[in-house]
Amino acid sequence: MRWKYFVGFLIILGAIGYLVWGGLGKNLVYFITPSEYKANEGKYAGKRIRLGGLVKPGSVRYDPNTLELRFVITDGLAEVPVFHRGTPPALFKENQGVVVEGKFEGETFYGDNLLVKHSETYQAPKEGYTPEDVRRLIEEAK
Amino acid sequence: MTPGFLGNWSLVFAFLFTVIGLGLAIGAWWAKDARYIVAGRRAAALAFVATLVAFGALEWALLTDDFSIIYTAMNHSTKSPTWVKFATLWAALQGSILLWALFQSLFTYLASRKLRDYWMSPAVLGTLFLIQTFFFVVLLFITNPFLPVPNPPADGPGPNPLLQNHWMMAVHPVLMYLGFVGMSVPFAYAVAAMISRRYQTWVATTRWWTLTAWGFLTAAILAGGWWSYEVLGWGGYWAWDPVENASFIPWLLATAFVHTALVQERRGFLKTWNFAYITLAFAATILGTFLTRSGVIQSVHAFSEGAVGPTFLGFLLLVLAVGFGLLARVGSEIRDIGSMGLVSREGLLLGSSVVFATMAFVVVLGTLFPLVVEAVSGDQVSVGAPFFNFSFAPLAVVMLLLMGAGPLLPWGRLDDYSRRALVVMLAVLAAGTLAGLVIGWTFGVSLTVGLFAYNVVALYYQVARRVAVWRKKSEGWGSAFAAYLQHSRRSAGGLLVHFGVVLAALAIAFSQAYRVDAQKTLRVGEQATIAGVPVKLLDLKAYDQRYRFAVEAPVEIDGLGVARPQLRYYPTSRTPLAGPSVRYTLFKDYYLILQAFDRQNGEWATIRLVITPMVFWLWVAGVITLVGVLMIVLPGGLPKPKEAEVGVVT
Repeated sequence: MRWKYFVGFLIILGAIGYLVWGGLGKNLVYFITPSEYKANEGKYAGKRIRLGGLVKPGSVRYDPNTLELRFVITDGLAEVPVFHRGTPPALFKENQGVVVEGKFEGETFYGDNLLVKHSETYQAPKEGYTPEDVRRLIEEAK
Repeated sequence: MTPGFLGNWSLVFAFLFTVIGLGLAIGAWWAKDARYIVAGRRAAALAFVATLVAFGALEWALLTDDFSIIYTAMNHSTKSPTWVKFATLWAALQGSILLWALFQSLFTYLASRKLRDYWMSPAVLGTLFLIQTFFFVVLLFITNPFLPVPNPPADGPGPNPLLQNHWMMAVHPVLMYLGFVGMSVPFAYAVAAMISRRYQTWVATTRWWTLTAWGFLTAAILAGGWWSYEVLGWGGYWAWDPVENASFIPWLLATAFVHTALVQERRGFLKTWNFAYITLAFAATILGTFLTRSGVIQSVHAFSEGAVGPTFLGFLLLVLAVGFGLLARVGSEIRDIGSMGLVSREGLLLGSSVVFATMAFVVVLGTLFPLVVEAVSGDQVSVGAPFFNFSFAPLAVVMLLLMGAGPLLPWGRLDDYSRRALVVMLAVLAAGTLAGLVIGWTFGVSLTVGLFAYNVVALYYQVARRVAVWRKKSEGWGSAFAAYLQHSRRSAGGLLVHFGVVLAALAIAFSQAYRVDAQKTLRVGEQATIAGVPVKLLDLKAYDQRYRFAVEAPVEIDGLGVARPQLRYYPTSRTPLAGPSVRYTLFKDYYLILQAFDRQNGEWATIRLVITPMVFWLWVAGVITLVGVLMIVLPGGLPKPKEAEVGVVT
């Protein structure tokens, strides 16, 4: 009688383990900046990621009729072209810290969720900023 | 006298009465003298009155725009409408803790009036006073809302604009705290039961507290979901956001407890499980506050910045240590005698509680996993909705299967009636799922439709069986049904709660699977179709509403009248807030959001339209669930637990 319960217990535990680890493995979304992507492209290929950085001045193209938004996201070291379909958020502007959630397809990052990282004390970083500065800026703006 | 002076002193007195009450409870335990309990009850009443005065003092400061204390200076604005001023009390941390302490002192007092068991009373009272002491220590030394401000400002920033955007946000926290505090009474009884070694009666004694607390938690989660739907402007009601999860974890554990408590009440089994579940459920109410208020969710590094995080974490660990420490001590005395059949009502009740506890585990894990990863590897990751949906779907299916069969099966072992009913139910499940697939719905939706039908048939069989008994004594089916409702109001309420849950599952399945989301830029006067729906942008205009500035784009939806989505600009917020406009219809919600507009000439606006099926039924399901809870907890429906009855293990 006892071993029956034991087997049942193991099956339930196995099912829960599968649900949890299977689910976590597939659905972890990493937060990275463009230079971290460039340093390790293979690791992030085809995966959902959150790409953080600054909107590069002069790179923003938005057409309100087709709702297509294109811009370049940079962390001072590397940059990545971003395509996003939808209205830019209210505080979206040049040199603003943003986080885009989506996937890489080729060299372009296709975002489906665009967040502006702002806070009351937000200031655009000084010239010559590093990826670490950008990361800190975005983290503090939460 | 100023509000700050009155508030500070009443907090001090509330704290003193609480400590005195704690001392009296310990005295009652030591001296085995009931007179200490009577005095403790007075201390509880005085502590409540003092807290009520503190609450009144803070409302006084808010309603008279007194900026000489820190809470108003940081969270209040003279421009807020009166109802916002009143609700500002619980819009930020310090005031929320005060509201929590007010409810805790009220519940301690109410519980102290109902102490029946001579052996358990000192420990019940002591535990409640100890919990209350924690809140007053936090209030006095960490988050005192009455700290004086040296140079009072003439006006403050006002509460978070998101909270001013909808009246539901004034209600949601109140319900939440009532639910949280409600869990403290069964927990205190559980502690007392383990200390006084009287293991059986406490679940029946605290049944009312547990179920009302569950009702408040349910109402709070619904209110939060509705607020999120009406205010946040993304067209959804649940995002698996850490703050939402924090309210969901105690609900899941309380649900697990409600089910195993029933087994102990009726059969005397599962005492260990009940002690464990109530400890976890109460601890989860503290965990929720720890997660949402310490900043730990944003980043592990935020944890050490304030004193609130470590204090709540310490209290959480204390609750777990007390609950499980006592349980370890008495564990060998409360093993189940005899064995319990798994295919029986008690077996399925236990099974469903395991499902709920697993759900709680999944939510805790998904919420905390990013913190673990960040602490270990430094990588920043997030666990999104896909993880929760992936793990929850199969658990929800098992839950719905058990939910139909559980109340149908008799205690002990299967009988012919329920065996026949089960066969029909399974056939209906298969038929419903197949029908859904033939119609062309997704597998998940089809299965949910099948499970809905399965549960409805199960409910029919249960009610029919009871009504048939009354049919023999009454005129017709109608009066037999009325007699059933009158005599079994409590169990009928339970079935109604189950119906609410399965209806909610149906609404969730459809709304998740068939959501349509599209946007388009329209010129004023232009007619177009968004997501296949003909719409016309009528106008674009701006209002100054004193405490905010609103831009509105009235849109005519074909056959549904005019919707008025807005963008709202608050002086304290740099980003505008969405003011979505929802057209509710029975089977589809039309959710309009003003995304952007022409700032120069006011000639165009970008409108987003989210069409979600069945959302309306989610709120209906919520109301049905709450009506079910009311049928259980309202006086009259509960047979009073008789000493002879609850003391006997059957």
